Amino acid sequence: MGFLMALSSRLPYRVWGDLRGFVASLGGGVLLQAATVGQMGVLLSRIAARSTPARLDRRELVRHMEFMAIESLPIVGVTALFTGAIVIIQAAPVVQRFGAEGLLGWGAGFGVLREIGPLLTALMISGRVGANNTADLGTMVVTEQVDGLRALAIDPIAYLIVPRFFALIATLALMTIFSDVLALVGAALAGEVLVGLTMHGFYNGFTSGLIEFKDVAHGLIKSVAFGFIVALSSCHFGLATTGGAPGVGRSVKASVVASATGIFALDYFLSFVVP
Amino acid sequence: MGSPLETPQPLVLHERPLVKLGRVALDAVSGVRALVSLFLRTLWFTFRGSRPKGATALQAFEIGNRSAPFLALTMAFIGMILVYQSAVQLGRIVPDYSMVGANYAELLVRELGPTIGGLMLATRVGAGMAAETASMVVTEQVDALRLCAADPVDFLVVPRFLASLVMTVVVIVLCSGLAYATGALTALVAFDVRLDVFVNLSLVDFGDVATGLTKSLAYGAAIPICSCHCGLAAEGGSAGVGRATTAAVVLSSLAIIVINFFISASAFLVGL
Repeated sequence: MGFLMALSSRLPYRVWGDLRGFVASLGGGVLLQAATVGQMGVLLSRIAARSTPARLDRRELVRHMEFMAIESLPIVGVTALFTGAIVIIQAAPVVQRFGAEGLLGWGAGFGVLREIGPLLTALMISGRVGANNTADLGTMVVTEQVDGLRALAIDPIAYLIVPRFFALIATLALMTIFSDVLALVGAALAGEVLVGLTMHGFYNGFTSGLIEFKDVAHGLIKSVAFGFIVALSSCHFGLATTGGAPGVGRSVKASVVASATGIFALDYFLSFVVP
Repeated sequence: MGSPLETPQPLVLHERPLVKLGRVALDAVSGVRALVSLFLRTLWFTFRGSRPKGATALQAFEIGNRSAPFLALTMAFIGMILVYQSAVQLGRIVPDYSMVGANYAELLVRELGPTIGGLMLATRVGAGMAAETASMVVTEQVDALRLCAADPVDFLVVPRFLASLVMTVVVIVLCSGLAYATGALTALVAFDVRLDVFVNLSLVDFGDVATGLTKSLAYGAAIPICSCHCGLAAEGGSAGVGRATTAAVVLSSLAIIVINFFISASAFLVGL
């Protein structure tokens, strides 16, 4: 402490002020993040409380899933096809260096099923569905429709959030299966057209027994976890919207940023934990 | 403007498929034409316009400095994940990890650094730009600009475009370095690969660096064009801002994946 006092008396005022400002903004940022995480925890416990006797509004759930999944099919499909192709293009030089073209199907399958399929699908769904969800909820909040629901004694969490929450998790898991398949098709096509590996050889490499069911399961477990984090952050930032039309834009941005951070952090831990 | 409580609207699934296909195709063509038009206008005003002083620096701060922590965090995680997954994969055939670092460095420079970094920037920067410009559109600030004879493209898009062009490359290079470092640490801790074995740049050649930098530059150009296109096309109050921001994230991410495919494929075919 004495050292700091001595330092502060020697430093020019401006530098000391900047330093204090830096420390203050650092602490403020940490507190802000902690508050967000805490609010998400509260929201999660409310969702859990509203859905413990499992009484889901099945019609709402199906309606949301129809909207979330079917509307996202084209974009997820295009992403998956191109991603599969890129995996092959990038893996080809490495594999050719080792003279192991027969393993290309296996290598692409491993990467797509375990890592790239779930990750990119989650990022696209977070952008397409999660952001949409936040924008929807945010608009309802700033136009006081959520207050209207409360005034009618309808619980907004049970009525608005719970169906969306579960619909999003289910959508992401289903979309991951869809995009895994399309990414493998894209990889096989790119192998045929660009690298000069026949589809037959790709299929042989893919089914050579080195890919096990646990690799598929690894990807699917991850995708459920990603769906969880995307659903939670999109609902939280939607409900926390303040300040009119610009506020809705800010919420959407905060929601996609939080989803992406959560996806990468969870991906890291799950990669180690899940076999 | 219906109330947002009514969305999601029921889908029209029984629409005749040819009609639907035709509409999708027409939408795609007009969308691409609008993007190209915005890009050309941006280039025109880059050389001929008179934007306010300091606007570009302000945007560069917003894109570079403000996004750096988020990008650093995600890239640090992706570095650890990728080294772990590829070493696990390699371990199933030959448990020899001495070349993991060299292959990882090559892949990071030509593919993963630019593309994962670009996707993250598309998420954060794209959403931010679209939210900002869409808010200005729906609060009629853009109309006010037009009234003052200031072209919104010159005033709003060009500073974001120039700033993004520079800062995307800078941020991606810095964060790829970070991803390399976290990857090296993972290899050391989880697979006992010594740092001097891991740090092996012998596979990174001129073609890899050129591909990586081209990609970063292309993403830096694509993100502001896509997001500002969505932002400027916003209409209808807060719901419109939300829709525009969502569309910007989707369009920028898709643009990055498509651009990545074309640059990777041409680099592969040229033999870089």
